[in-house]
Amino acid sequence: MVVAIDEAALERYGQWPWPRTRVAELIGRIGAARPAAIGVDLLFPEPDRFSPSAVAEEVQGLSADVARRLRALPSNDAALAAAIRGQPVVLGVAGLEARDPRFSRQPAAPPLLLRRAQDLRLRHFPGHLQSLPQIDQAAAGRGLLSVDPESSVIRRALAVAQLGDVVLPALSLEMLRVAIGAPLSISGRGSDAIEVGIGDVAIPAHADGRFWIRYGPHDPARFVSAAQVLSGGVPAAQFEQKLVLVGVTGLGLLDYQTTALGDRVPGVEIHAQILEQIFEGEFLRRPAGLRTLELALLATATLMLAFTVPTLGVGASLGLYALAMALLAGLGLEGFLAEGLLIDVAWPAIGATMVFGVVLAGALSEADAQRRALREQAARVAGELESARRIQMGLLPSPRALFAGEPRFGIDALLEPARTVGGDFYDCFMVGPDRLFFVVADVSGKGLPASLFMALSKTLLKSAARRVDDIGALMARANAEVSSENPESLFITAFAGLLDVRTGKLQFCNAGHEPPFARAPEGALERLVHEGGPPLCVLEGFEYPLAEHTLAPGEWVCVVTDGVTEAMNAAGELYGAGRLQAVLRSLPAEVEPNAMLAAVRADVARFVGEAEPSDDLTLLCLRWRGAASER
Amino acid sequence: MPLAHRLYDSALVLAPSGRLDHDNCEAFREELAPFLERSAKERLAIVLDLAGLEYVSSAGLRCFMLAAKQAKAQNSRIVIAAMQPVVSEIFQIARFNLVFDAFPKVRDALAALSPAAAAAFDRG
Repeated sequence: MVVAIDEAALERYGQWPWPRTRVAELIGRIGAARPAAIGVDLLFPEPDRFSPSAVAEEVQGLSADVARRLRALPSNDAALAAAIRGQPVVLGVAGLEARDPRFSRQPAAPPLLLRRAQDLRLRHFPGHLQSLPQIDQAAAGRGLLSVDPESSVIRRALAVAQLGDVVLPALSLEMLRVAIGAPLSISGRGSDAIEVGIGDVAIPAHADGRFWIRYGPHDPARFVSAAQVLSGGVPAAQFEQKLVLVGVTGLGLLDYQTTALGDRVPGVEIHAQILEQIFEGEFLRRPAGLRTLELALLATATLMLAFTVPTLGVGASLGLYALAMALLAGLGLEGFLAEGLLIDVAWPAIGATMVFGVVLAGALSEADAQRRALREQAARVAGELESARRIQMGLLPSPRALFAGEPRFGIDALLEPARTVGGDFYDCFMVGPDRLFFVVADVSGKGLPASLFMALSKTLLKSAARRVDDIGALMARANAEVSSENPESLFITAFAGLLDVRTGKLQFCNAGHEPPFARAPEGALERLVHEGGPPLCVLEGFEYPLAEHTLAPGEWVCVVTDGVTEAMNAAGELYGAGRLQAVLRSLPAEVEPNAMLAAVRADVARFVGEAEPSDDLTLLCLRWRGAASER
Repeated sequence: MPLAHRLYDSALVLAPSGRLDHDNCEAFREELAPFLERSAKERLAIVLDLAGLEYVSSAGLRCFMLAAKQAKAQNSRIVIAAMQPVVSEIFQIARFNLVFDAFPKVRDALAALSPAAAAAFDRG
């Protein structure tokens, strides 16, 4: 129970400090209810200036008689001492860092039992402040008022402290001791812990006498106003056999402290809460092993994060971190609620957070560096592919430029690689003055391997064409030569032709290639089909047969690769030979090769639409204009 | 590409399905490899049942060519059967009929390989 000298009391009985007679009256009222102990959270270090003799000195113009009579009256301090005497009153003592000359004598200390002789390392105050000896001597006990705050927030209080040479318990503990009538005992509990005992009550504390306060919220029900007590409005049962604290709560008196819960509570309530805690036996403890446990937690959490975060993605890492934090918080809370253990999970949490941050930053920057390296590599490869494409396209002749002004025939060709560089190729050149060699070929596969093999094949075909008259023999020779330099087992479909530009006689050979189309000015669209053979590099030693077809004057031939017939649209449909035939049929009889090329290319592009080209696309168109005599 | 397989006496019938092109031909080769090894070890002929094959690109043709070359090198036989028209046309254009013996139906292929295989096929 706390008897509060609150705003209501100050309003009714005047400003603080009250005359000690009023305090005496208050204590008398409480004492009449026979409480177990009365703790007075007040100090009376100087004589009361409201004492009659002091008033006699203060007030001018009193008659000598009045002054004399006033001086003869007992002092207010004597009145208070009288009120205290015989009551279980515990007065406050404050520890000071310097000696106060007024209180050179050591305060009277309660009987102290030291269960185990050891050097006490209690908080030591060289000086102290206490009530006037006259009042002090009347008290049943003296308790320490000082909480000796370590910061602005009071988390721990002194259970016992050393004042000069004597050991004094806290006000609350001394109240308990006075109530029980037992001596105070202090025994060692390991290297940095002690146990403060009063009768059956044991309070675990640090070697310096501090112990943790387990705060509850500020509870107005603990308080009763001094005004009510003075007016007799509080039934005796409220105080009977209770521990009653008397203190000031009036806001103007400024004895307010911040607790660990963040409440601003009157200083006297801290004493009350300490007493409640002692009765409930719920002490907050920090056994010696706890530091080891915290270090182990710190090590576990940091090591776990240090080793797992680099192997996880950002999301998983954050999840793990959150889990670790939740576990630490849960452990701290569980320890506090279930065991009253004060496990400091803040340091493991802070350590883990720092390690997490560093490791995650490291992992991210490493990932970033890798990404950058990959980007650079991709750019380099793209650049190399781009230059490979230029080289590949440079290998292909430009028929229109090559045969510009050629009166006997017209020829044009087009190649669009699907993956920057491709495996299609075409070639055309004169073999001797009157014979035009041309070839369209497709290496199986795409990309760099196909394009490299294409370059090799094109060269070998060209050299074979210059040495062999018979186009079938040319194919057989190319087959042998390309096969011998084919570690990747690629193959090549090819259509090769040798046109006698004087007569229109066309010798051709098809090695597994899409048969070309041909059309004479007056004729229907036809395909140049013959027995042919498999693609180059498929069957070793195959003897390719040749076929002949005599072109009519103005007749054209169009050779394509499967990039045309198997061009695919977004729906997965193939362009097909049918569409190719349709567009070729629609062309006028006198169409020139470049116009033909453009028409087919446009039709395929229309069909494919936005779809990614699936294969290289090659077209070669040739038109024989007829013998010199016929032109 | 899933590669279903059944054994009829001394003939292993493999049935690739779907499309065989640049994107999956390496996977097809890896699927095919253990069967080719087995055919060499156990003296089995292989019938490629192409009824489920919808399309084959030039890269896919290369897989067939490689299988044929390996079969030839290990002195085992590999034939094809039941090609769909699209695939048949591609094989025709590429003259792969010169590489493989092709049969209209799986049973025809088995009959050409061994009477016992055809008999096993007839028994189911």
